[in-house]
Amino acid sequence: MVTSRGFPRFLALVAAIAATMLFITSAQAQDKRDFYKVGVITSLSGAMVYGGNVTRRGYDLWEQQVNKNGGIEVGGKKYKVKLVYADAQSNPQSAADAVQRMISRDNVDFILGPYASSSTLGAAPITERYKVPMITGSAESPSIWARHFKYTFGAVPAVDRTAGEIMTVLAKQRPEIKTVSIIGMNDPFSKSTAEALRDGAKKAGFKVLSYDITPPDADMTPLISKARSLKPDVLAVGGEPNNHIAVVKAMESLSYKPKGLVMHYGVNTPDFQKAVGKAANYVIGATVWDPSLPYKDAVFGTAQNYVKLSETRYNVKPDYTQAASSAAGEAFAAALNTADLPPPLSAADKVKLVDALENVRIKTFYGTIGFEKQGPWYHDNAELKPIVTQMIDGKQVLVGPGDLGTQKIVYPQPSGQ
Amino acid sequence: MDLLLQTLVNGILIGGVYLIITLGFNLAFGVLGVIDFAVGEWVMLGGFTGYWLNHYLGLDPLLFLPVTFVVFVIVGALVYPMLARLLKGRQHARLLMVFVFTFGLSTLLKGGALTAWGFNQRAMDSFFSARSVELAGVYMPQIRLVAFFFGVLITVAVAWMLYRTRFGLSVRAVAQDEGKARLMGVNTNRVAALVYALYAGLTGMAGVLIGVIYTVTPQMGVQYTIFAFFIAVLAGLGYVPGVLLAALLLGLIQAFVAVYIGSAYSLLIVFLSLYLILLVAPRGILNRGRA
Repeated sequence: MVTSRGFPRFLALVAAIAATMLFITSAQAQDKRDFYKVGVITSLSGAMVYGGNVTRRGYDLWEQQVNKNGGIEVGGKKYKVKLVYADAQSNPQSAADAVQRMISRDNVDFILGPYASSSTLGAAPITERYKVPMITGSAESPSIWARHFKYTFGAVPAVDRTAGEIMTVLAKQRPEIKTVSIIGMNDPFSKSTAEALRDGAKKAGFKVLSYDITPPDADMTPLISKARSLKPDVLAVGGEPNNHIAVVKAMESLSYKPKGLVMHYGVNTPDFQKAVGKAANYVIGATVWDPSLPYKDAVFGTAQNYVKLSETRYNVKPDYTQAASSAAGEAFAAALNTADLPPPLSAADKVKLVDALENVRIKTFYGTIGFEKQGPWYHDNAELKPIVTQMIDGKQVLVGPGDLGTQKIVYPQPSGQ
Repeated sequence: MDLLLQTLVNGILIGGVYLIITLGFNLAFGVLGVIDFAVGEWVMLGGFTGYWLNHYLGLDPLLFLPVTFVVFVIVGALVYPMLARLLKGRQHARLLMVFVFTFGLSTLLKGGALTAWGFNQRAMDSFFSARSVELAGVYMPQIRLVAFFFGVLITVAVAWMLYRTRFGLSVRAVAQDEGKARLMGVNTNRVAALVYALYAGLTGMAGVLIGVIYTVTPQMGVQYTIFAFFIAVLAGLGYVPGVLLAALLLGLIQAFVAVYIGSAYSLLIVFLSLYLILLVAPRGILNRGRA
């Protein structure tokens, strides 16, 4: 009950709430922009900040190039893009909170999604609830696509379609590989990678001697000691670049070097190279993009040109995650053009954008992008094929499968036990 | 059998690393009665100090341990007056204020490091990195052996200081009953300041060793805060000699769980063990800590 003394205070509170609501309503009503407001949610702090910045570079390069070209062409007119960032803090809950704030407060037209899979799994239910389309340029865990989110798309093929290919290529090696030990970090991407490596190994006819899932920041010496005692031909690791550094340092400290070392992602990153030095040599990995591939488009030019743009702005050679993040923007641009959707996008426009994305099939500097419309990889890019790589003297070389390989794989690695 | 022995050695050597982090932490708790949630960030800053000195001077990072100790003793002495102001102030919930202060300090240091040095992982190598000693099929990483013996040496030195010097007597007196110690003429504020400075210095040195064994990043501190807290509680809060046993126990649990049960269950089993031990011995594993 409001007393006579409290009435003026109550009145002031009601007035303040009314004024705030009026401000929000008028701000939304006045949201008549001639540019696309693009939300970017990625890990700008926390354990996955390295990968978060890889995606950020990819998204920023897309913004730079698309605006340099005048913007996204829709209905004969070009509209520039403006990126609005939010920090997922390497944490699914923070990703969900941040994406909710971005949608309700910033009223973004569409979203470029997080690094990594765990944060994507946090953000996707929110974009689903608010019906805002999102393309992630980095998430690779198949668990995202198995959940059939209508508003979430992925530019990188799921890791269970790529990591297993390493084992297929290794199965053709002579001397013959017979045994494998697998270590995976306990996060959605790394665990899926480890599972894919294990399934690929079984399919290739290798005996899996051990399969261990470990917390990403755990001390690696116990598991490396275990691998050493089992004497596998190949040790395969599913993890992020920082986990791979920890594994290699533990191996070096125990003077252990297997005949073959597989690390699916990040072995060509400057951090990994600097941290482990010569130990990076002969590490086998996988990619879906390489600057040597003959891909090109109107925004970035050739894949080689994309490398130059990245080196000019960041002094960093891009990897497939950065390239995929840039290409994710191109997929949105193609869908907006096809569906004829100028900014700002209404709720109905965002639904139309999802329909348009489902039918996108474009050739970019990163390769072809086209999303699955059904099945276990629903809305993931189905068009790219995995390529197996090996680090030789600081350079990533393609070693298979088949004609995609430019040189033979080095196996066993020199002084491998 | 080889794997069993190897796991035992791995566990003991990891425990040696944890020992250095927790020694000062538990000593500071004994005297100040507060948990410093910034302990992991002192480790991180110690690691970066070693890294940058190694980067610019090109010398073995282990040679910078004394310099790092001195730098962090000074930093600790500068931070302590702020902590003391909260501890000795007249405000309500003083311990809560101290907790908020150390938590805020931790966030500030981590954020500052991230802004200043970026997110990249940095590695530094010592003469002992990437080398091991083999004994009957068991491999012992040389750098971890160095860290272990350094940890034991520091523990012995701190124990000697506590039980064989006049200053140590003052420290124990303050830890036991600050009021009575003051009545006996002990300058309790000076003792607390020196203990906090010593804690910061020891933790900074631990950072250099951890940086050489693993890598250095602005986000590395959190897990060491958790481990320090675990070991301090297990050792008995404020009871320094228990740290050696508790640190070795944590290392052994982690190593054996990783190899024989599954590394994914490591933290679960670590904290379940802590819970069970505290049920039986609420004052720590040797039943000598604060209740």
